[in-house]
Amino acid sequence: MAAAIETKKLTKTYRSRQLGKINVVNELDLHVEEGEIFGFLGPNGAGKTTTIKMLLGIIYPTHGEGYVLGREIGDMDVHRVISYLPERPYYYEHMTGFELLKFYDSLFGNHDPDKCQRLLERVNLAGDASKTINQYSKGMQQRVGLAQSLLNDPKLLFLDEPTGGLDPIAHREIRDLILSFRDEGRTVFISSHELSEVELICDRVAIIHKGEIARQGRLTELLKGGRIEITLQGIDEGLARKLATGGTLHNLSDGYMLDMPEEEDVNAVVDTVRSAKGSIVSMVPRKKRLEDLFVETVRAATPGAAPKLAAEGGV
Amino acid sequence: MNAIWAIASSTVGEAIRRKVLLVILLIALLLLSIIPALGVLSARSEMSAMISTIFFVIRFTSALIAIILTIYMIPNEIERRTIYTILCKPVQRWQFLLGKYFGAVLALALMMGIMTALSLVMFWFLKHPDASKMAEVAKQPILYLVEMSLLAAIAIFFSTFVAPLVNFFISTGLWLVGTVLNPLYDSFATNPQTAPIMKTMAKLITSILPNFANYDVKNPILHPGVVIQNEASYYLKTVGYGFMYIAILLILGIVVFDRREV
Repeated sequence: MAAAIETKKLTKTYRSRQLGKINVVNELDLHVEEGEIFGFLGPNGAGKTTTIKMLLGIIYPTHGEGYVLGREIGDMDVHRVISYLPERPYYYEHMTGFELLKFYDSLFGNHDPDKCQRLLERVNLAGDASKTINQYSKGMQQRVGLAQSLLNDPKLLFLDEPTGGLDPIAHREIRDLILSFRDEGRTVFISSHELSEVELICDRVAIIHKGEIARQGRLTELLKGGRIEITLQGIDEGLARKLATGGTLHNLSDGYMLDMPEEEDVNAVVDTVRSAKGSIVSMVPRKKRLEDLFVETVRAATPGAAPKLAAEGGV
Repeated sequence: MNAIWAIASSTVGEAIRRKVLLVILLIALLLLSIIPALGVLSARSEMSAMISTIFFVIRFTSALIAIILTIYMIPNEIERRTIYTILCKPVQRWQFLLGKYFGAVLALALMMGIMTALSLVMFWFLKHPDASKMAEVAKQPILYLVEMSLLAAIAIFFSTFVAPLVNFFISTGLWLVGTVLNPLYDSFATNPQTAPIMKTMAKLITSILPNFANYDVKNPILHPGVVIQNEASYYLKTVGYGFMYIAILLILGIVVFDRREV
């Protein structure tokens, strides 16, 4: 499949009097395929927005290469087929939703009021088209933002925190819209902190930390390796320890809890417990979540981070 | 051209809704409407006192509007991230800057037009002047508009790389210095005690700085003794000087803004 976004050692360096040279984005190699929803994740200050701005040609890379839809970043022709929804954008408040779309449409040299109306209908704002933007709620502003990002029928959409600060209903509406973009064959590049949302809609993700890609791949692959928690009763400690060789054993008041990787032979554990006249109280599979992967990745990339978190009472 | 026009018209829409600008305009209109009552306080003829006060109010408030309108234009767009939704479309930075500038000039023209219209109506009703006097009074605000367009170009140039507050002082300072450049230069040039090096320096500085003094024409009603030999040529030169200066400032602004990290 062709690459919608491809970067090779893309780097952005800022100079500061106090800190000297800082690589906000450092030799970033990113690969996003056409037609997929790609999640771009990272803690605050990891370099997500800087990367997006470089891909959009709003800021210039210090070195490295970047290609968007096969063209070098900054190529004005690409701007006809991409769109961007920034994090918490401000729109001209004096305009109505309809006027706002007409304004953005005119930036493409178009004048198509019918299209503006259709897009407002698509984002469920047709009834509020004549309200000014300052009368819109956060969710409505985000939806009108999505509508403006569809004006040019883009092949690639950059969405920066598209569901940030929205209520659950607005969350769901935006999520459904994003999923419909993929159904239409568009590529969606999402930068987000809402890991549960990303997990629900993204095909592939990249985790960026301190300007570098810490992990990148298909979600199904990255989230392999869940665990199973088995609660056991009526067996002695020696047997419990023997069973725990592939996992971790926790003492409970009336038994043991065995925490083991899902790829371990669970049937063998069950058979052994039964033959020892013990009983299995519960067996709970724990799927690996994106949040686990994210925390694990960021900690692994931050030497000394885990003990510090533990000392502060964190997970 | 479409993009420049779209940005310019949205800028006008935003400018005419900015409360601070509307308050300044309202105060100006209030001042203009009470000018006839001030005539009795002046030792000069009532008509010349009225005209000079009208010109002063229009010029001063227009300068204030021009500066306040333009110093926030680019920084606000960056701070509110609106610029990203525009620059990710097929809009070049130079188009964005020109759109903002032309929008500011249109908004200025609108506000100055309202002030001028009120002044002319009042002048007509109170003094019943003949057509030539009306034309004399009507000409001055046109030059003021060129002057304010130049001031807006200065402010928008600096707004591409300095903070609004700093820009306010720079733009205001340049305008104030620019309004006294001619008398300043004359005092240096005609004083026999001035050292030649000082004269050269004065000439250099007055050539580089924008000369706003040229736009305050010695109106024949106010200064009957001052005669402009070739009025058409003077007006053309003054307007041409303004346009040339504006073009240079906009080109410099585009160069700076093009490389700026937003």
